[in-house]
Amino acid sequence: MALLSVITGRLSQAFLLIFVMSLVGFIGIHSVGNPVYNVVNIETATPEEIRRATILLGLDQPVWRQYLVFVQNVATGTFGTSYIYHQPAFGLVLDKLSATFELALFAMLVATVLGLGLGVLAGTRPGSPLDRVIVTSSVYALSVPSFWLSMMLILVGAVMTGWFPPGGRGLTANLLGFDWSFLTSDGLRHLVLPVLALAIPNIALIARLARAGTVEVERMEFTRFCVAKGLSRRRILFHHTLPNISLPIVTIVGLQFGGMLAFAVVVESIFAWPGVGKLLIDSIQLLDRPVVMATLTFTAIAFVALNTLVDLVYVVLDPRVRIST
Amino acid sequence: MKIGKHVRPIAFGAGAILMGLFSVAPADVVAQELRIATSYKLMTLDPHFANLNETNSLLSQIYERLVYQDEKLEMKPSLATSWRRLSETRWEFKLRENVKFHNGAAFTSADVVHSIDRIQNLLKPPSGGYQSYVKGIKSVSAPDALTVTFETNGSLPSLPLFLSSIFIVSKQASGFLTTEQLNGGTPPPNGTGPYTFKNWRSGESFEVVRNDDYWGGRPSWSDVTFRIIENPAARVAALSTGDVDIADFIPARDVPSLKQRGATVANISAARLNFVQFDVANDQAPGVTDKAGKSIPNPFRDVKVRRALAMAVDRNVIVDKILSGFGTAAAQVFPNGLPGTSANLVTEPPRYPEAKALLAEAGYPNGFNVVLAGPAGRYPGDLESLQAIAQSWARIGVGVQPLAVPFSVFNTKRAAGEYGIWYGGGSGESADILVSALLGTANSQGDRGSLNYGKYSNPAFDEMLGKAQGIEVGPERYGAIATATEFVLRDQPIIPLYHFDHVFGYGKKVATYTMHPRGWTTAMQAAPSTEAK
Repeated sequence: MALLSVITGRLSQAFLLIFVMSLVGFIGIHSVGNPVYNVVNIETATPEEIRRATILLGLDQPVWRQYLVFVQNVATGTFGTSYIYHQPAFGLVLDKLSATFELALFAMLVATVLGLGLGVLAGTRPGSPLDRVIVTSSVYALSVPSFWLSMMLILVGAVMTGWFPPGGRGLTANLLGFDWSFLTSDGLRHLVLPVLALAIPNIALIARLARAGTVEVERMEFTRFCVAKGLSRRRILFHHTLPNISLPIVTIVGLQFGGMLAFAVVVESIFAWPGVGKLLIDSIQLLDRPVVMATLTFTAIAFVALNTLVDLVYVVLDPRVRIST
Repeated sequence: MKIGKHVRPIAFGAGAILMGLFSVAPADVVAQELRIATSYKLMTLDPHFANLNETNSLLSQIYERLVYQDEKLEMKPSLATSWRRLSETRWEFKLRENVKFHNGAAFTSADVVHSIDRIQNLLKPPSGGYQSYVKGIKSVSAPDALTVTFETNGSLPSLPLFLSSIFIVSKQASGFLTTEQLNGGTPPPNGTGPYTFKNWRSGESFEVVRNDDYWGGRPSWSDVTFRIIENPAARVAALSTGDVDIADFIPARDVPSLKQRGATVANISAARLNFVQFDVANDQAPGVTDKAGKSIPNPFRDVKVRRALAMAVDRNVIVDKILSGFGTAAAQVFPNGLPGTSANLVTEPPRYPEAKALLAEAGYPNGFNVVLAGPAGRYPGDLESLQAIAQSWARIGVGVQPLAVPFSVFNTKRAAGEYGIWYGGGSGESADILVSALLGTANSQGDRGSLNYGKYSNPAFDEMLGKAQGIEVGPERYGAIATATEFVLRDQPIIPLYHFDHVFGYGKKVATYTMHPRGWTTAMQAAPSTEAK
């Protein structure tokens, strides 16, 4: 029952969100400029060619009619045809999805494991030198801009040492109809630097959250009671501390994962990683409205789905949520 | 990206170890693979879809044209071995023998007819770019398997030039292939070129392999992979680490560090122009005010004002400082020496006092204020040029507010007439095409004035250019075009600024890379090193 109401609530939210977002995105792109100048060769095209291209793309119609056509295209599932690539926009997004997904997934895995580990380590030893090192370095890791971090990773990891390639996806292998880099050793080598670039700020974020949570929980009476009862530190950590600090961490992992899926633009551009973020920024630059709209819609869906997932995980993790719904 | 002195030996050490590792591998296999980092995004596999360098450059590995425009912009035989004009409106092209398409079919005149027909009759805009090349063709016929006859609407001396843009596709028994079919890859792209299609991912990569049956001899590389990397810093990084063998369009500021890492850099003056253009038609030019900020009648209608502004531009600062020497100061539309350019048009150093006097003579002793618009990040040195011009013009009393906007926004606003004076760029297959696009009066056929957003109109020049373009390709025609250019530039309808250089970098595997002024990136331009063979 709880599950059902969560899902129906989320679905209606999702529809509203997508509707509002599509309207804003549509009008926004429309007001930036005319995509027809990116479709024809602006340096050689004649006014007649521009006029004909405008008609073909449907850009001579009033905006509200263009929006209706767009809604129609969404209903048929194609999101319209890309102005630039002349392919169904949704197909283009799907093509890039596996690249972004594996990048985000690996980055989040690394971030969660390392972040949680370091955070708990620091939190159980507040004030120790190790704690101070972790806290201070997390401040640096969080405040470094991601383009600079990416450049430094390329400089150190690729240009100076030659350990890893500076960009691209490398060899891919096909699984379930998608191409994946992590299935080949060459692809894995290509994954390392961009994954690090995405993971490092998140390691810091999660470590800080985990540390704060641990410090707080360790001071609680039930922890002291556990210690008094003679439970091992290990048992206290895994059975009492971790479940109690997990809620904010699950929330932030969900949010950050959504953010990576949609907006890893900087990292994807610098590492020439052909993912959704790069597609979005390229399409915005070329004013390729169908692709921008398809990407944004995908983003909205991903965020809503992840938030729903996070809520469901709450239900599992926190007995109080189960009781209140 | 700078590297401290103490780390360099380490990097070189690692490089040496890596090189050692590679030399163990069978050299033959490794050496014949070519990896190119390109900024050109291949948008479609349809060779007739959009006339953009992006597509043309990459697809020319697979498809060929009847005529090839070489790096001196001269017409050379490709799929056609010779051509001649039978009469005012009739041309005969003799085709190359023993040419095969990648699927094994023989190349014949029927394929040429089919290709022209496909552009004229199947494709709808935005594949418009090629339609302007075939507009002048009334009919194409194939008297025999290796002869094609073109019937043109009126005299068309530029026909070979136009055909140097059109890729020849194979005739299908089933009729025309649609763009969707070609993009889907079934059937795979089928041309006559030196490389055959292997794989394509939009916005990601493009792979071709050697066509052993190529009519022009065995191509140099067994496998060629183009990696689409739009970010220039990422292209430079890929080349510096040896991840690719060639990187195109290198920013001038990265050249020294690339050379230091052992890469070779090649450059050529681009067959294109960056310029300042004026609104010369309207009574009021947007963004132009007097020193007090009140709007004034359009000053650019006065040739003295235009000349004064041209006199006060320091092109050498732009070329030396902004482009780091990778460019040429411009006095006409193409770099001097290319067909249709004039040796009489040379750049001059700025003459500020004279410019100021001329401005006073025109009625602006105190100058005026302008908003100088331009695209940001579209051409090398675009944003910085706006600032350099602002500084120069300040010396003659003209206050400049530079306004740099994204290219797509710039195009929309320029077309809507929202700018009074702007910085722009233009290119073309030949000097006369660019000069007529920039300065010709827009006409009903639409072959003139497509870049003439300033609405400049000079009937005497239009007539001179028209006559020149009617002359057979050769020195006489080029001379007439040069004379017409000299004539029109005396009126200073634009201020030519510079021709930037195309700058390419390549690694050890490549011996030479033949640069093309139109900025093409192909495997055919790269010759392998002898030791790599």
